Amino acid sequence: MPPQSSNAPIVARNLVRTFGSGERLIRAVDGVDLEVAAGEVFGFLGPNGAGKSTTVRMLTTLLRPTSGSATVAGFDIVSEADSVRRSIGVALQDAAIDPLMTGMELLKLQAVLYGIARGEQHQRAGDLLERVGLSAAADRRVGTYSGGMRRRLDLALALIHEPTVLFLDEPTTGLDPMSRLALWDEIRRLNNDGTTVLLTTQYLEEADQLADRVAIIDNGRIVRDGRPDELKSEVGAPTLLITVAEHATSAAETVLAQFGESRPTAEGTLGVGLRDGAGEVSAVVRALDALGINVEHLELRAPSLDDVFAEATGHRLEGAS
Amino acid sequence: MTAVAIGRREQLIALSWRSVLSIVRQPSVVVPSLVFPLFFVALGTSSFGRAVNIPGFPVVDSFLDFALAGSVVQGVLFGSVTSATALATDIETGFFDRLLATPSTRAGILVGRLAGAMAYGLAQTLFFTLVLFPFGLSIKSGPIGLLAMMIGGLLTALAVGSVMSTMAIRTGSSEAVQGSFPLIFILLFFSSAFFPRQTMSGVYRYIANVNPISYLVEGFRSLTIESLTLQAVAQTILIPALIAVGGLALSLRSLRRRLAAS
Repeated sequence: MPPQSSNAPIVARNLVRTFGSGERLIRAVDGVDLEVAAGEVFGFLGPNGAGKSTTVRMLTTLLRPTSGSATVAGFDIVSEADSVRRSIGVALQDAAIDPLMTGMELLKLQAVLYGIARGEQHQRAGDLLERVGLSAAADRRVGTYSGGMRRRLDLALALIHEPTVLFLDEPTTGLDPMSRLALWDEIRRLNNDGTTVLLTTQYLEEADQLADRVAIIDNGRIVRDGRPDELKSEVGAPTLLITVAEHATSAAETVLAQFGESRPTAEGTLGVGLRDGAGEVSAVVRALDALGINVEHLELRAPSLDDVFAEATGHRLEGAS
Repeated sequence: MTAVAIGRREQLIALSWRSVLSIVRQPSVVVPSLVFPLFFVALGTSSFGRAVNIPGFPVVDSFLDFALAGSVVQGVLFGSVTSATALATDIETGFFDRLLATPSTRAGILVGRLAGAMAYGLAQTLFFTLVLFPFGLSIKSGPIGLLAMMIGGLLTALAVGSVMSTMAIRTGSSEAVQGSFPLIFILLFFSSAFFPRQTMSGVYRYIANVNPISYLVEGFRSLTIESLTLQAVAQTILIPALIAVGGLALSLRSLRRRLAAS
């Protein structure tokens, strides 16, 4: 059991979930510890298959942990699952919504399932549709909605009972940039109203923009967690990315090694964490030039969450999925 | 958080209404399950009209009276497969998870999904009867017999829907559920849906004798071609009711297992 002293809305202790058995045993979540404070936006960052959704499914009572324990809104996710369900809002990956129903019908159904009084259902559904900008489409079947509209409806469905804790599993995956920004604004508004949000994402920018704290998960384990700026400052040195002709790659790597540790990059690009900061860029270029290595492309990047991820896991998140 | 102001009954009604809507809003599902049974009746009546004179054939006014029961059961069976397919689709798309993440009861989610098939089974029975009346159909057991047939149609839909839902829950695959459609078709043909068991012989008769669909159809048929008897009413209602109890127990057990394993 999580320590009773913790009043945090989401607390997980050594949460483990395995699938299969014997040689086919997969540890999808391998000992996750979490504590999300009230009013916080907590970003769960990792590539596909890292264990993000499995963790969320356990915390939202859809999946039983193999071992470990967790409380959500003060209730145990196994022994008090029904109380957990009453307290949380859940928008799962891929916005699973019945395409044959209208937005208004789905919201009213959701209202009934959460036990909201009949007299309040229509008003509540109408208010939420307005909030997510779907009033005009309220009586259209969801099958005619765009991806962005579905996501917004999905969020509205999760909010029908005014939950104190909200789980959003990859809320913007597959959305166009405009729809993504609109959803971010809505998540910020909700958080400003006091809702605690746990969101999973594979987008670094999303975690950076929205999350007060971030946990990076890889292979079922949390490898780093903290505030985004703290995590980035831990990485320290900026990353210099260079591209050289293929035949010169090996020589260039030797030169770069003199200026700092190699950092994982996309294929065809070399990366080095500049030990003494951005001032060393000219020295790097001169050293390469001295060996006759022509630099085709050069980019200096301030530490990002991707660097944090790379430093923690040995591989990059961007472009991984 | 809002206090719980309404209860399980309202939740079940809302889930049932959703399943009714999902049938009504899919004409591509509704039309075949209404048209094909009528097509079989038309084909049978025009092709086998004189078969009523074969020794052993029940005493009927016309082949149409004989054929109604088969068309009702055929239509309801097809409609019920659709309902179970919809459940499997809910599982595939994740909508089932959305429902499970709410505080509604697990049994309510399942029974609510089957309620559409039940309402549709009742409506189908009435539809086939009303459509065939102008062509000379007569219900010898009268309005009470017709009412019993409609309840039988509803219960048959629940029975078949619950058995098929077990498959939907276990496989979580709409394709697997739809793949069982030919099996139902075979079961229907190896029953007394289209010809009386008395005129059958050999293996065909043996299979029809052990096929529960035969007894289901014959209950409906007794109410069509004979005057009202308690036995016919009981046969029409109790057989599907018993299958439904078993089917629901099976599907709920499958749901519990799925939730425990997931």
